[in-house]
Amino acid sequence: MATRKTKISYAVKRFKGFWNQFRKSKRGVTGVAIVVFFTILAVFAPLIAPYAPIDPKKDADKYPGQTTPPRIAERLCSPVWYKYLPWIPRGPAQAEDLFWTNVTELGGQLLAVFDRLEVTDMEDYIPKDTFDEYRGNATDHYMRLSRAATKPPQVEIIFPNGTLKQIETPEDWWSSRNPATLGDTIGKPGYLSMRSFVRGLSEDLGEDLIYTAFRVKYEYSRDITENMELVPDFQFSSNQTFQQEWDWTTLTGSAHLRYNSVKGVNNDGCIEITYNPNVDENESKIVLSKRFEYPYWEPPQSFWAHVSTRVQGKPVNLTITIQKDGEQPIAIIKLLREASPNYHHRTIYPTEQVVRDVSHSLSPEKIILPSPGNYTFAIEAVFTGEEKTSVYLDDFNMLLYGNTFGLLGTDNAASSSYPRDIFSTLVYGTQVSLTVGVLAAVFGTVIGLFLGLVAGYVGGVTDEIIMRVADLFLVLPTLPLFIILIVALKVVSNTVSMWNIIIVLTLFGWMGFARSVRSMVLSLRERPFIEAAKAAGAGKFYIISRHVLPNVFALVYITLATSVPGAIVTEASLSWLGLGDPRLASWGKLLYDFQISGVTVTRGLTEYWFWIFPACISIAVLAAAFILMGYALDEILNPRLRMRR
Amino acid sequence: MFLKDESFELGCIPMALKEYVLKRLVYSVILIFAALTVNFLIFAMMPGDPLRQYMARVELHTNEEQYEMMREQLGLNKPLHLRYLDYLVKMLTWNFGNGMIGGGAPVTEQIMNRLPNTLILMGFAAVLSIIAGIFIGVLVAYKRGGLFDTLAVTGSLVTYSVPIFFIGWLMMFFFAVQLHWFPLGGIAPRTWGRTPPTNAIEVLIGRISHLVLPTITLFLFSVGGWILLSRACVLETITEDYVVTARAKGLKERTVLYKHVLKNASLPLITSVAMTFGFLISGAIITETLFDYNGMGLLIWDAIRGGAAPDLPVLQAIFYVIALAVIVANFIADLLYGVIDPRIKYG
Repeated sequence: MATRKTKISYAVKRFKGFWNQFRKSKRGVTGVAIVVFFTILAVFAPLIAPYAPIDPKKDADKYPGQTTPPRIAERLCSPVWYKYLPWIPRGPAQAEDLFWTNVTELGGQLLAVFDRLEVTDMEDYIPKDTFDEYRGNATDHYMRLSRAATKPPQVEIIFPNGTLKQIETPEDWWSSRNPATLGDTIGKPGYLSMRSFVRGLSEDLGEDLIYTAFRVKYEYSRDITENMELVPDFQFSSNQTFQQEWDWTTLTGSAHLRYNSVKGVNNDGCIEITYNPNVDENESKIVLSKRFEYPYWEPPQSFWAHVSTRVQGKPVNLTITIQKDGEQPIAIIKLLREASPNYHHRTIYPTEQVVRDVSHSLSPEKIILPSPGNYTFAIEAVFTGEEKTSVYLDDFNMLLYGNTFGLLGTDNAASSSYPRDIFSTLVYGTQVSLTVGVLAAVFGTVIGLFLGLVAGYVGGVTDEIIMRVADLFLVLPTLPLFIILIVALKVVSNTVSMWNIIIVLTLFGWMGFARSVRSMVLSLRERPFIEAAKAAGAGKFYIISRHVLPNVFALVYITLATSVPGAIVTEASLSWLGLGDPRLASWGKLLYDFQISGVTVTRGLTEYWFWIFPACISIAVLAAAFILMGYALDEILNPRLRMRR
Repeated sequence: MFLKDESFELGCIPMALKEYVLKRLVYSVILIFAALTVNFLIFAMMPGDPLRQYMARVELHTNEEQYEMMREQLGLNKPLHLRYLDYLVKMLTWNFGNGMIGGGAPVTEQIMNRLPNTLILMGFAAVLSIIAGIFIGVLVAYKRGGLFDTLAVTGSLVTYSVPIFFIGWLMMFFFAVQLHWFPLGGIAPRTWGRTPPTNAIEVLIGRISHLVLPTITLFLFSVGGWILLSRACVLETITEDYVVTARAKGLKERTVLYKHVLKNASLPLITSVAMTFGFLISGAIITETLFDYNGMGLLIWDAIRGGAAPDLPVLQAIFYVIALAVIVANFIADLLYGVIDPRIKYG
């Protein structure tokens, strides 16, 4: 009997011999290298990917009492390294927005509703069917342009019969205070002229106005903008940074400000503003401000701001403002805070009423930060009365979202509430593809091996049944059946998980291998050494496990390697069709998200190539790596092929 | 002993051709019934009562009365074995009834509307890839070990593993977005609307321009597999002893290749070709979805995902027709085997 030690050393020796042979195959080595690379990615995904693959949040645990932490970036960002590419255009640029009109009657008045269309997909002639296809859910009573126009726009009407008409835009249609809006909110002249204009058109066109399109051409300033965080130390963790970063002045009265190291949200640092009125004093105003430079020619995509406050004493008026040097400050929010024992946390979005009052539109970030320059971010506290009052200020921050982010940009959060970092999703997707691919291949091969051995060695009725079932499975249409079964499994288990796909792939992944094993066993069992074993009184199980199995094993390795890519590609295809696990970041899911995002294929293939192509290439490369490996194994382990050389 | 093994691989014991055909026929009929049964069971076992899901979504306010009426109409209230018999009669008489989604158009009509589109697309792609694949495969096997062999094999392995939607997107990117040679998708120009032009040449050009990209996509996707398969088949036979004998006899290389090698190498290819043609009518779900090509694949996809619940009558009919086509194609392949392989004819 061989001892364990000699057995191991023999195995090592055999493996060394095999490896020496395998090393000679360029294809095989390439395949192994790629698989190792992706395995490392999968295993160390949490270390390599900077953000969570699903619903990534920025500083999720740092803003207490916060149900919706800030997003990591705006939707549809480009990769951040675009700034190093000289050919990415910057400066003045032409933009074109296309709107589709619907006219509804409301209280005896005609009301025009505009839907924005994706311009790139439109041809010059627009038939009615196309409009019906593109009719989205978003409606607006005014044409809101997608970018901040720098000059009055040109408007062109495309009538349903295909004729074009350039229309003169009166100056008052375009509000310079609000460059993002063409026509204005109710009560503003622009909107009324648009309405009366549409009414005039409807008299000529009647019903047809419903399918009329407006093409708006305008100039805007284009730049590559990055995310900016105005207050890096927003938790006020050290006095030193606070002193360096911030300025404060008492405008009127005796209020003063100091750093407090224990009264913060987490009993750490915060800002304490104290109003201790002198005799006859009943008002005081103090401003805490921080200067920053906004370097980009294009306004940020959006912003997010936050402040936590606690008041002791009388109510205090707080106003957060942004001011460009030499211009009037613009209030972002006005808060009246009353005394409370705990901190009050407030998040400020671009939709705040105060900001909208200033900008008359839904895109205030374009008003707040219209051009590059030096700005001041400030909070103003106004104390009244004759009582001592203190305000504690913490977690005070503002994030400006640019149009570039990460290594591969972001998606548009069509299936989630937060835009995702595509690079992180891509890295995590490796886990799903590898797991599904390898497990489905292993299960399918094991089942195929078992059934093949049984069919081949036992023979008779068993053989007949197994092979006929295999034939049956081979005549059923695979992909439609996969889809049906996954839909069915979804109903049964109430979720779509990775395992559903693995089960279905296993169910249909054994037939080919079972056939090859069976035919191999058929020829093996007639060999003299099996007969010798039989004559020596060996049982069926012993013969199969000790004599047949080792001879079939070369085939197992080859089949394993060549059936992984099939599983990987099928999983990707199923996820691509939207049948994958919605809670799992997979490559196919990434591409499915693109398809349901509403971004047209044309723009996806050109502007957002980084969303589509990396995932596609990853699937192809990983699958090809396994195939190459299998092919190399086949050349080494398959004796018939070896003979041929 | 060797001969016996070979015959096992071919799935039959040597016998007279007539007997062989008869056996294949019986076997095919049994397979059809098995497929019919599986097809019935899959949809009968479909969990979650698709009818109720469907009615809940479409009718908004479903009352039990309506539900029961619908059940009776579809024959769902009968016991399972009676339903199975109903189903068998329906399938065998090609009386597929009406679909549930999209106004409940007759299933046969739905299929016949899409089938020509799919057959044109898939047929073109299949014929092209089979011809090109076998041609390249044989050439490469004959000159194995050369640079062309390495390139062709590696290239085939790579295209074989690329997901088809990637190929489709690449085609779109180069030929539709960048070069504007062909349209992005659809089956006919949008401008046609409901009134296609009457000029035959215009119709032809319009249809073909929409056909090119999906055809190339399917072609690239499948040609690698054909190259590898035919190469492997030729390599399998080219090392046989009788080929060496033929060469030793002093036969021309060309004669050896075409008369001795190809004839035997073609046997496994025939099955694959037959399977491919059998599966033609199932369409290509992903390619058709990607290019918005109105064929059987899109019909299947719409039937599964288009409505509130899977459109069972449509799916059952399609699955049956596909299985039938594949089984018939296999049967024809078996007949061809009988004609080509003398071991079967004179066995």
